[in-house]
Amino acid sequence: MSVVKEFTKGFWQELPPFRLVLGLCPTLAVTTMAENGLGMGLATTFVLVFSNLLVSILRKLIPGKVRIASYIVVIASFVVMAELLLQAYWYPMYKALGIFVPLIVVNCIILGRAEAFASKNPIILSLADGLGIGLGFTISLTVLGGIREILGSGKLFGAEVMWSSFEPLGFMVKAPGAFVCLGFLLGLMNIISRRRPAH
Amino acid sequence: MRDLIKMVVVLLVICTTSGVVLSYVNEATKAPREYQYIKFVQEPSIKAVLSDYDNDPVKERIKLAVGEDEEGNPIEIVVFPAKKGGATQAIAYSAAAKGYHDLIEVMVGVGPEGKLTGISIMTHTETPGLGARIVEPEFTDQFAGLDLDTTKLSAEGGKVDTLSGATFSTVGVITAVGAALEQFPQIKKETF
Repeated sequence: MSVVKEFTKGFWQELPPFRLVLGLCPTLAVTTMAENGLGMGLATTFVLVFSNLLVSILRKLIPGKVRIASYIVVIASFVVMAELLLQAYWYPMYKALGIFVPLIVVNCIILGRAEAFASKNPIILSLADGLGIGLGFTISLTVLGGIREILGSGKLFGAEVMWSSFEPLGFMVKAPGAFVCLGFLLGLMNIISRRRPAH
Repeated sequence: MRDLIKMVVVLLVICTTSGVVLSYVNEATKAPREYQYIKFVQEPSIKAVLSDYDNDPVKERIKLAVGEDEEGNPIEIVVFPAKKGGATQAIAYSAAAKGYHDLIEVMVGVGPEGKLTGISIMTHTETPGLGARIVEPEFTDQFAGLDLDTTKLSAEGGKVDTLSGATFSTVGVITAVGAALEQFPQIKKETF
């Protein structure tokens, strides 16, 4: 049961950008289109799952004093791997995400999960945790990107979805639009969680 | 003391493993990365500067060594040949020169007599609205049919009109194309 619990908590209770309000830099920067949000989310999930796995395997070997340095080396290695793989097999996404791929290294969600969870829990639980949080992050970014893409350019995943006389709100794909959209989503989620009985 | 040694050893092992694994991944993804770069950055430009061919210029690309740089390393250029019925009609290759901000990379198509079949700007960081207009067909189209002598500003006896407000960008493109054409006699021997 606890594997399921660790997996599903990433979808609501600990949904990274909205409930924990962590990892906002990529959340705000790359979500101009649903596809970019999805690509960023998947790259982050890849890094998160493997860094959780390795940190969990090595948790008894790494001395406490150098743990953060060790985690950063592990995380950075997977980020470089993700970057090389994107470059080799999904080049347009690599170009679209630009500097934000190497910046996954400093995404606090990943170091946060390594420090708060994977360094204290067995391998299976850590994998479930990484996958759940990663997919929650991916869904959040895709939804945010989708809303901004629909309102900002009248498209979703590059396909026209709005009526022909729809005038795109240009500011939605710019930085202020990201903050406005994030604010509304945070508010919406707070309303929903207040109506639900506390866990 | 034992703690210290343990810390050093653990970090050393982690870093070494990371280095080994990454160099393996780097090596393993080298070919697909090169291919993706050609496909998404160079191929659209190659198609724009070559016409009337029935082969796949990207698949039949050849690497040529043209001279050496200051440190004695060979300078290599990749040539994309456009063939029809097995005979080379024209070749495409790239050159770069400094524009107003940074390097402008240009793909040039050259016919057997050393005349340009067309040029296409691959990457640049010129000012939007001013220098960035070098990518527009109104500007690039005037290069078709020019050779080394006529690839100059009209004010200097050539046939290229300056983009108003973007002299540095214009000169950058001319310099890149000129450098490419200067290499042509050497490349010609190996390709046509």
